[in-house]
Amino acid sequence: MQIEILLPQQGVIALEELPGLLAGSTAADPFHESVVEASVDFSQRIFRDAEARGHPELLALAYWMRKAEVNRLSAQFRAIQLDHRTLTPRGIVFHLPPRNVDTIFVYSWFLAALTGNRNVVRLSPQRSESTSILLRLLRESLASAAEPARSGTTIVSYHHEAEPTKMLSALCDVRVIWGGDQTVEIIRRSPLAPHAKEITFPDRYSLSAIRASAYADLSEEKRDYLANQFFNDSFWFDQLACSSPRLVVWCGSGSETHAASADFFPRVAGCVERRRYVLPAAVSMQKLRYTCSAILNSPVEECRRYKGLTVLSLASLAGFQRSHPGGGLFVEAHLESLTDLAPFLDRRDQTLTWFGFTPDDLHALVRRLNGRAIDRIVPIGQALQFHRFWDGYDLLQEFCRCVYIESTFQATRPTPSDVGGGS
Amino acid sequence: MTLDDLIQRPQYSVPQAQKEAVLLAELTRLGKSHRERSPEYARLARVMFPGSADPQNLAALPYLPVGLFKERLLSSVPESEVFKILQSSGTTGQTPSRILLDRETAQLQTLALSRIMTSVLGPHRLPMVLIESADLIRDRRQFNARAAGLLGMINFGRDHFYALDTNLELLVPELKDFLRRFGGGPFLVFGFTFLVWTRFYQPLVEAGLDLSQGILIHGGGWKKLQEQAVSAADFRAALRKAMGLTRIYNFYGMVEQVGSVFLEGEDGYLYPPNFADVIVRDPYTFEEVAPGQTGVLEVLSALPRSYPGHCLLTEDLGVVQAIDSPACGRFGKAFSVLGRIPDAEVRGCSDVIATKVG
Repeated sequence: MQIEILLPQQGVIALEELPGLLAGSTAADPFHESVVEASVDFSQRIFRDAEARGHPELLALAYWMRKAEVNRLSAQFRAIQLDHRTLTPRGIVFHLPPRNVDTIFVYSWFLAALTGNRNVVRLSPQRSESTSILLRLLRESLASAAEPARSGTTIVSYHHEAEPTKMLSALCDVRVIWGGDQTVEIIRRSPLAPHAKEITFPDRYSLSAIRASAYADLSEEKRDYLANQFFNDSFWFDQLACSSPRLVVWCGSGSETHAASADFFPRVAGCVERRRYVLPAAVSMQKLRYTCSAILNSPVEECRRYKGLTVLSLASLAGFQRSHPGGGLFVEAHLESLTDLAPFLDRRDQTLTWFGFTPDDLHALVRRLNGRAIDRIVPIGQALQFHRFWDGYDLLQEFCRCVYIESTFQATRPTPSDVGGGS
Repeated sequence: MTLDDLIQRPQYSVPQAQKEAVLLAELTRLGKSHRERSPEYARLARVMFPGSADPQNLAALPYLPVGLFKERLLSSVPESEVFKILQSSGTTGQTPSRILLDRETAQLQTLALSRIMTSVLGPHRLPMVLIESADLIRDRRQFNARAAGLLGMINFGRDHFYALDTNLELLVPELKDFLRRFGGGPFLVFGFTFLVWTRFYQPLVEAGLDLSQGILIHGGGWKKLQEQAVSAADFRAALRKAMGLTRIYNFYGMVEQVGSVFLEGEDGYLYPPNFADVIVRDPYTFEEVAPGQTGVLEVLSALPRSYPGHCLLTEDLGVVQAIDSPACGRFGKAFSVLGRIPDAEVRGCSDVIATKVG
C-alpha cells in the first residue's frame, strides 16, 4: 500500500519504504541546540502567522513552546539527572494523536523531540484548518533547521489501515496513543517490540471544586473573572477536552453552596453570550437528549437551562455516571467538604480544577485518594494548560531511558565473590 | 370546538388562532393526563419545564426530544392495555424508537389519517399502485415504520397492485395491465420517495406511460434524493414530463406520531392537519423563531394517548413559510422541511477513529 508523507517532504511512498525513511535520521542529544532552535522558531512562526492568529488554541500552543518555557524545561531536565543516572533518548517515538484536538500531537511531539527522540506522527487524512496551519509552519521551521532537528520528525497520514500502524509499532521504542479507550484497545492489537513502552491517554473525566464560602467572599469583579476562567477551561474544545470540567462540586453548607451556584452559572452563561460561543445544532440537540436521559436515570433534582448552558443538580453523587455530551452541560453536586468527594472518584478522573481551597485541603484529598483517581490539580483557568506532568506521567522522563552509571571503581572494598569464597 | 370537531371538520379549514386555542386546551389536558399516568413523563416535565403545568401558549408546553423514544419505552397505559408496539425503521446501527399504542390511540390514528387522506383523495377508495414489494407486509409481526406506513395507507385503496418484485424491480407488464384496467379514472400511487424515484420513475423515464389520472402520495424523506441532487421541484417536474403525473403530494410524518401526517398542498408547502401543529425552535436557545427563520421542528399532535408523544422535538430542520395564507385553500401554518440537522464534527480527546487492525 501507499502512504502519504507530510513531513519532512510531502509525497507518497510505498509502505515498505517507510523504515528506510526513518533509518535515515539519528537521535539527538537531549535539548540539542538544533532542536531547541527549531522549537522556538516554530513557536515564533505560529505567533507571527496571520492565519494562526484566528485560532486561540494555536496561540496557547505557541506560548507553551516559547523560548522561556523551553529554557525552563531544559533546567528542569538537568535537575532530574542524578549522579548515577543519565537520561538518554529512547529512540523513535510513534505518536497517534486524536483526529480532532489538533494541537495535541504537537505537545507530545515537542517533549519527545526536546528530549532527543526521533518522531513519527500519524495524522488522519481528514485534517482541520488548524492542523493544516500547524503542518505548514512546522514544515517551514524544520526546513530551515539544522541537523539533527531537520530530519528528526516524520509525519505520515493514512486512514484506518492496520498495516502502517503495525509496521510503526514494531519499529518504535515508545508509542503514544491519544484517544479513547476504544482506540487504545484497537491500536494495542499491533504489537510493540519487546523493549518498547507505551504511553496512553485514554478516556478521562474532569471536574471542578469550589469552596462556597471563599466564592461568597469574592468581589463582583473577581466572580466574573473566575467565571471567565471557568468558561475558557470548559468551552475551548466544546467541553470535550479530557481536562475540561464536566462536574462542578460545591463545598460548604447547603445554603452557601446553593447561593454560590445560583450566582456563578449565570455569570458563565454571560461569558457564553459575550464570547459568542455557538454550538453546532446537533450538539445542542444531544445535550437536550442527554438532559432527559440524565433526569430519568440519575437523581437530578433541578435542571437550569441558560442560553448555551445547562446545569443539572444532583441530589447525590452515588452511582454517578460519567457519560457526557459536551457543549456546555454541567452536572453539579453539593458536599460539606472536599474530602467528601473522595469516595466518588475513580481511575478515569483526571483533572481537578479548584477555587478556594488551601494546599492542605488539596493534599489531604490526594492522600485520601492514594492513587485511585486524579492526576492533576490546578486552579480554575488552567485546565487546558498542557504540562510536562500529564495523566500521571512526567513526560520529560517518560521519553527517556534511564542509564545507571557507577563511575567509581573501589578496588579496596571486598566483592561478594571474595567473601563467599568463589563459585 | 373539541378535538372531535377538529378531526371531523374539513382539514386545513381552521384559522391558526382558533386552532391554537383549541389545541392549547387539548394538549394541556393531555399533558396533565400523561403526568398522572407516566411517572417518567411527570419527572421530565417537572424538572425540565418547571412552571409548565399551566402553559399560556403552545410553545410553552413541555416537549421531549424524539430520540428519547430510542432510549426509553415511555408509556401512559398499563401493560394490559398495550395493543401494539410500533418501531421506527432506524438506519443500521441505530436503536429504533419504540412506541406503545393502546386501542384508543390506534383508532384515533386511523381516523385522523383517513381525514387527511380523504381531503385529497375524495371519499371513495381508489385503485391503488404501491411502489413496494408485497413481501414488505407479509410478516405482520414485524412492524417497522415502512410497513406500518404502508398498512396505514392500504385502506385508502382497492385492487391493490404491488409494483415491485422481491428484488425491488418494477413489474412493468403488470403495471401496464393495471393501467389498462384503471388508468382512465383516478387512481392512487403510494410509495416512499426514494423508491418512487429509483424503482418507479427511473425505469419508466422513456416508457411513455400515461399516469395523468394518478394521485401520487409519497414520503419518507429527501435525504437520499438530495444526495443525488434531486430537489422537490425536480421530482415534480420529472414525473410530470415522464408520465403526466401532476397530482403529487409529499408527506412528512414519523412513527412517533403516526396519524399526524403533514401533507403537501398544491403550493409545495406542508400543512398540519387540524389536530396537529408545528413549532420551529432555535436549536440553541430552543425559543420559538419567527416565520421565515430556520430552526428545529417540533411537532404537536392531539392523538398520542398511550405514550407521552404529543409534543416532540424532531431532529429535522424546518421553516414556517406562511400562516393562514390560503394560496391553496389551506389555513394554518405552511412549512417546509429542510432535512436532518447536520452531524456535528466532534472534537475532544477521546473520539479517535476506530482503526481497523488485522
